Amino acid sequence: MRGQAFRIGFVGLAGSVGLVVLALAASGRAQPGFLLPIPVEVAIGWSFVSAGLIGWARRPDNGTGLLMTLTGLVWFGRQLEWLDTPLASHLSHVSANLFLALIAHQLVVFPSGQARTRLERMLVASAYVVALGGYVVSKLFYDPQLEHCPGCPQNLLLVSANSQLNAVANVVPSALAILLVVAILARLAWRWRVASPPTRRVLSPVVWTGWAALLIVAVTVGLYAGEVSPTLDRALQWSSLAYTAIPLAFLAGLLRTRLHRGALSGLLVDLGDAASPAAVRGALAQTLGDPSLEVAFWLPDQERYVDLEGRPFEMPANPERAASVLEHGGQPIATLVYDASLLEDPELVRAAGAAARMALENARLQAELRAQLGEVRASRARIVEAGDAERRRLERDLHDGAQQRLLGIRLALRLARGELGQGVSAVEELLGEAENEIAQTLDELRALARGIHPAVLTEEGLGPAVETLARRASLPVQVEALPTSRLPSAVEAAAYFVASEALANVAKHANAAGATIAMRRMNDSLVIDISDDGVGGADPGSGTGLVGLRDRVEALNGSLRIVSQPGRGTRLHAEIPCGGEANAPSSRG
Amino acid sequence: MKPTILIVDDHPSFRGFARRLLEADGFSVVGEAGDGASALAASRALGPQLVLLDILLPDADGFAVAETLAREPEPPVVILTSSREASDYATRLERTSARGFIGKGELSGPALAALIDGG
Repeated sequence: MRGQAFRIGFVGLAGSVGLVVLALAASGRAQPGFLLPIPVEVAIGWSFVSAGLIGWARRPDNGTGLLMTLTGLVWFGRQLEWLDTPLASHLSHVSANLFLALIAHQLVVFPSGQARTRLERMLVASAYVVALGGYVVSKLFYDPQLEHCPGCPQNLLLVSANSQLNAVANVVPSALAILLVVAILARLAWRWRVASPPTRRVLSPVVWTGWAALLIVAVTVGLYAGEVSPTLDRALQWSSLAYTAIPLAFLAGLLRTRLHRGALSGLLVDLGDAASPAAVRGALAQTLGDPSLEVAFWLPDQERYVDLEGRPFEMPANPERAASVLEHGGQPIATLVYDASLLEDPELVRAAGAAARMALENARLQAELRAQLGEVRASRARIVEAGDAERRRLERDLHDGAQQRLLGIRLALRLARGELGQGVSAVEELLGEAENEIAQTLDELRALARGIHPAVLTEEGLGPAVETLARRASLPVQVEALPTSRLPSAVEAAAYFVASEALANVAKHANAAGATIAMRRMNDSLVIDISDDGVGGADPGSGTGLVGLRDRVEALNGSLRIVSQPGRGTRLHAEIPCGGEANAPSSRG
Repeated sequence: MKPTILIVDDHPSFRGFARRLLEADGFSVVGEAGDGASALAASRALGPQLVLLDILLPDADGFAVAETLAREPEPPVVILTSSREASDYATRLERTSARGFIGKGELSGPALAALIDGG
């Protein structure tokens, strides 16, 4: 693995530098004044390199480990001072400044390891500009002879020896560095304040150590801007050991996300064999450290998400919530909706989801079952309601129709009896009216009976019944195909009422010039297509008629779909399985 | 002298038979109305002494129309009628301000006269 080879190389390099420095110190050569005490120098470098390598190995996808390793190596660049040449001295000082910039860089981008916002990129770039540019500026007017350092290496960057300008050129970059430190500290504090619990857990070691270390840097830079006594200088040098806490803090932060992953094995134990959807959610929420975690299950049949209880689930449009879809064999199983701060570690969410996949699949089936149960309960309630409504309608129809007419006839007969003495013509007229009323009563009763259950459907089957329906419709209906053989009575009834309700809707709402009906046997199903050339825009969810039809069709394991775009007519497509034998035609008459 | 009558019913054929039946029994039918709103208008315009009022009207409930009629300056006597039975409306008939109820099948001049006198 390439990362592995690089890491071994870095270990070797850092180890050699450390050994060389130790050897140099042991050789009794005078230690350059710029460098810290040897144990401090080596401890700082190795702390960064080793913590960086561990972080890099554990989280190769995260840039923090590599950045820390590089920081440790750059730190060792300071040892070039031992060479005691002007160029090496400059490089040594540049290394020292670059080291600080790298720490600032890591503080800005932790824990993702990448500068993702404009502010982050700006802060990182500023750190490097101030560290490197600041060094160059601070040397432009620095003459070792003038500054009472005759033994110092020659300044290759000297433009013009000027003590006053030199003082300014030293103070300005230092001031900028302090400003930058304040900005980064403020941002850390702000990030801490707005972070959700999962992010805080990862941020906390870095935030507190980062604050401490940056304060030390600020104080050190501030103190060196003025005169420094030898004792204070010594104390400041040893205080630099505090730098070793920084890589440890970064590592601790990284490993906290790592510890989370350790919780994944606990997750699998928690889930067991037959965990309920709520238990799966609870275990995932705990593993991810996000109590607000929601799980939505995908129902492929209905092409929608439902919650733990099988109720419809709306995906949040809130930017503070993030979602990730868990798939199995290209099919979504579930979507986890969680605090967007977990996006700092998207891999963990994916890993938790993958670990919980079996349990989620199981829970999805449970949720699907609950959703279906909910559907069945709702449709059962609707069927009862539809039955009651139908009875009310029948009572009203009987009351308004046949009953009124029979009452009229009774009154007419009573009148006729009263007028028997008045002459034949008056009675004849009344009897004629009574007969006329009876004829109309019979027509109305027949229509009513047909509405309840058409005799032609019972006696002759679906084809003739639909032909009759088409003939009686108030608009031209073209019948393209009808089944020639008998089907199970429930299928015939459902198909007939689908056609009857659809034609009634066309007549009432579609403003259509005509409609077509086709009913075909296909693969042991009855396929119904009814379309019109009307105004469209019918809402399949509204109107009890259409919902009732869907219940009727779905009760037979069928499906019913309505496509009705405004201005493009309405098309109804239904499929009803015909499993089971056709009923023999009844011979009752 | 038999009272003047307004017949309110949404079925024209029933209104026609009822008119002839009651006129044969000596009542004076001064008007007919097919719904609640026109019943109120006709009652104000014609001032009948009696309103034969169907309970199930297309735009209103006969009981409500009866209450409105009862609040008129010179309220007519209201007899409710229906093709349903009186027991279907038992409690509402107890509370109504209408004088009485007669089933449509039982409608005749003498039955109506008995209700007016008895109420």
